[in-house]
Amino acid sequence: MASSQGAPPSPTQSRSKKGLFVTEQPKLDLESYIANYTGRTRLERMILIGNCSAVLGIDAFKLAVREAKLGKDITKYLEAQTPLETIAPKEKEAARDLSWMDKTKSTNAAETARLESEVKGYKNNLIKESTRMGNEDLGKHFQAIGDLPKAFEAFSRMRQDAQTPKHIIDISRHLIEVAVEQRNWIAVTSNVQKIRGVMDSKDSDKAIPPFLCVAEGLSSLDSGEYLAAALSFLQTDSGMSSSANSIISPNDVAVYGGICALATMERAELTKNVLENSNFRTYLELEPHIRRAIGFFVNSRYAQCLSILESYRSDYLLDIHLQRHVDDLYQLIRSKSIVQYFIPFSCVTLDSLNEQFAAPGKTIEKELVQMIMRKELDARIDTVNRVLTSVPSAPRAALQSSVLKTAKDYEREAMRRIQHMNILAADVDIKSRNKLPGGDDFFDGGRELRSGRNTGY
Amino acid sequence: MDDLLSKLLMFPPHPPPAKPLSDHAYDEGIKEQIEVVGKMSETKLLQQTSGGEHALDVINPSLNTIPYACILLANISALKKGNNKGVEIDTLWEKMIGFLSAFDSRQIRYIGDELSAIIEAVAATAFSTRQAHLAVGPIASALMRLDPTGTMLTTHHLDLARLALDSRNFADAAPVLNKSILYVPGASTITKPRYICDMTLSPVSFITLQSKLTKKLKYLEILEYFLYSGMVFIGMRDWESALQCLENAVTYPAKETSVSKVMVEAYKKWILVGVLLEGRLLPLPKSTSSGAAKCYHVMAKPYETMAQIFENGTASRLKAEADTATNIWRADFNTGLILHLLAAFQKFQIRSLAKVYTKITIPEIVSQTTSAETGTKLPNPQAAELLIQNMIATGELHATMSPPTGGPSILTFSPTGQALTEPQMQRELVLTSERIVSLTKEIKQTDRILTHDKGYIKYVQKQSKNAKTSGATGDQGISGPDMDWNDALEDEDIMGPMY
Repeated sequence: MASSQGAPPSPTQSRSKKGLFVTEQPKLDLESYIANYTGRTRLERMILIGNCSAVLGIDAFKLAVREAKLGKDITKYLEAQTPLETIAPKEKEAARDLSWMDKTKSTNAAETARLESEVKGYKNNLIKESTRMGNEDLGKHFQAIGDLPKAFEAFSRMRQDAQTPKHIIDISRHLIEVAVEQRNWIAVTSNVQKIRGVMDSKDSDKAIPPFLCVAEGLSSLDSGEYLAAALSFLQTDSGMSSSANSIISPNDVAVYGGICALATMERAELTKNVLENSNFRTYLELEPHIRRAIGFFVNSRYAQCLSILESYRSDYLLDIHLQRHVDDLYQLIRSKSIVQYFIPFSCVTLDSLNEQFAAPGKTIEKELVQMIMRKELDARIDTVNRVLTSVPSAPRAALQSSVLKTAKDYEREAMRRIQHMNILAADVDIKSRNKLPGGDDFFDGGRELRSGRNTGY
Repeated sequence: MDDLLSKLLMFPPHPPPAKPLSDHAYDEGIKEQIEVVGKMSETKLLQQTSGGEHALDVINPSLNTIPYACILLANISALKKGNNKGVEIDTLWEKMIGFLSAFDSRQIRYIGDELSAIIEAVAATAFSTRQAHLAVGPIASALMRLDPTGTMLTTHHLDLARLALDSRNFADAAPVLNKSILYVPGASTITKPRYICDMTLSPVSFITLQSKLTKKLKYLEILEYFLYSGMVFIGMRDWESALQCLENAVTYPAKETSVSKVMVEAYKKWILVGVLLEGRLLPLPKSTSSGAAKCYHVMAKPYETMAQIFENGTASRLKAEADTATNIWRADFNTGLILHLLAAFQKFQIRSLAKVYTKITIPEIVSQTTSAETGTKLPNPQAAELLIQNMIATGELHATMSPPTGGPSILTFSPTGQALTEPQMQRELVLTSERIVSLTKEIKQTDRILTHDKGYIKYVQKQSKNAKTSGATGDQGISGPDMDWNDALEDEDIMGPMY
């Protein structure tokens, strides 16, 4: 089914889609996709799909509206409901449920007030454990109504009353969850470190290490450090199951890890770290096409590898964390494939490259030029005979010329230093106009020429 | 005159003795001769020989440099005074030129005053007859003969650079200006050599203020020299040498925030020349003083912008930038360089195509490159062919162009860099290492000059005194960080009996 879609569209095509609006039919099934997650990320993901997908948009928004009404977050409700008013006004979810909003608003306010006063009470009575739990409740409440900064604050306040390592882990987990939603990756990494600091290797919860790995992976992914992201995801222990569902599903681990690895690792590394990684295999089994793509790459069947990835492009464009990086990652994989394809040859016709990598009727010449300029591909194009030739490497000549250059630079630098010292020795350097205070004995004697010096400027 | 001749020619002995004179004997002999010749009156020196020949025709300047120089000077001053005892100006000119390229480089060290006077006379004569370009070559060769290493800056260097710029005779001055200057006159601590006729002496030792071979130079004059020599090489389109000369000015040592305007002017030209050479904005040399660096970036902003656009921007932007700031270029007298820059843009583009292509058709080049002179693409393939032909002919592009065989012309880039052959390479390596080894000599010389500086000696004295006193009071915490090994020993000696 993957290859049935034919050759992948050229990467320039997808570039033109600004603002990310996916019109192709994605492979994912909305219901089962969203069932992988728990918590607020469900809403967030559905709204994102609603905003970005032409095919699934209405359904996603409808689901989101229903989901939102089960919760307490009015902002998210409006985010999901407002677009529906324009794109599908006839649906029953499109009507704004003002009474629900009013009711939720007042209960939210009451709940906030109640929890806050409770915390204050505990504090006054100096009951540490209760204060901590009160703050936790307050944080959860703020998180549920969508007031993330306040939620973050409340969870942070728990730290003062934390007594056991378990508490600290709890706090940091809450904070990571909120920070992921806020896209505050610095907070994510710092809390990951905090948990690592207190974690006991023996008796702690089996679910914690994978959670940390994926949190770290996400933050690396977000900052574009794909290799670091790949390594984090690949380290994820197999026991994650649904423990991190509020952030990420096991399927996502497979996809993120697989694609990042494909984009950054060499063939041997891929075999060793991905395909033969028993921990990661459990995840890969959830997304068999990623495994097939990597397999094709390792076996040098680049066209198949790229076409599999291409067929899932629209899915990944609808993924909340991956969507901004899909183009970059795909580009990396493509370039790498071209480089790998070219390695065994000294000379390849452009036509055969086109056949492998370009969409029908298109040519990859421009892309090759770009790659050569970025020094990714060490080759030269012959536009007359339409071939790509490799550059004969001449390490001896290169070394010799670099030696000569270094020697020349050294010689010049040394000469200039000697010149400077002698200029100083002859006392003809440029002095500052406002004279130095005369207290320094170093200059006292023998500098009779200085007085007449500063006139020539 | 005939009786004088024997006196004039008494040194050096002729024919030369089988065993060359020792430095000592040479020194004494030449000093004696200078005294004798110095006592002779001008009128005597102007006399002709009994055969009616002129003394300047009889004496060989390369053997008897000293009497020749004195007679030459007598003639010059006679001509100035207007009495007709001397020779015609045309003959005199011939003689002066001949002298500058023939004098004995050992004897000349003793008569710095005379040499300076003759060089000045040559420059002045050439200047007054509006033939300044004629003086450049002889003066340059005189400087080369005086100091073959060319590492010592003299006042004549500056005159030469000025003269070369004025007369636009760059080529004759280039060999002198291209030498790297290591020493400037005026260091107070140069050791007096025993005999200045010692041919192994470093130029610092015999070209001194005392020998009158140079005068004291102010910093402004030194900077001027660097700037002018840079401009001479710009005139010759020798970007690499120009860059080095200008860099001397750019990195000139300056205390704190003081900067000379000459340095800023040099920096502006340096940026442009750097772009012409490398195609990018070069980083400032490490040895630039920090105050100056700050100042440069403020004062030469438009130039830096040009360089950045050249590196990353498009032809049309480069042209627009060049057009908007014409008054700046004109005010700084850099319009010519800017025009060069615009012309060079497309050439760099074509050259960088070699990094991507091995063979490419001319129409493709036309479509992929733009001329910064017009801001648009070349009008037709013929224009591109012409440009590329020129580039190949001048060695700017290593490629071959094949004539059309049915289709458009094809440009084939040669494989990267023309690798040197092994023997060439070997030679090159040996030469380089020799040059670097010879630098150690200069380093030793510099080290000597520096460590014998009065101020430094005083400082060392004070240091050791400090160390002693602090040692005596038992507080060694404040002894200077420069305390060297000797001081440390002394320290311990004093501390010994205390504890």
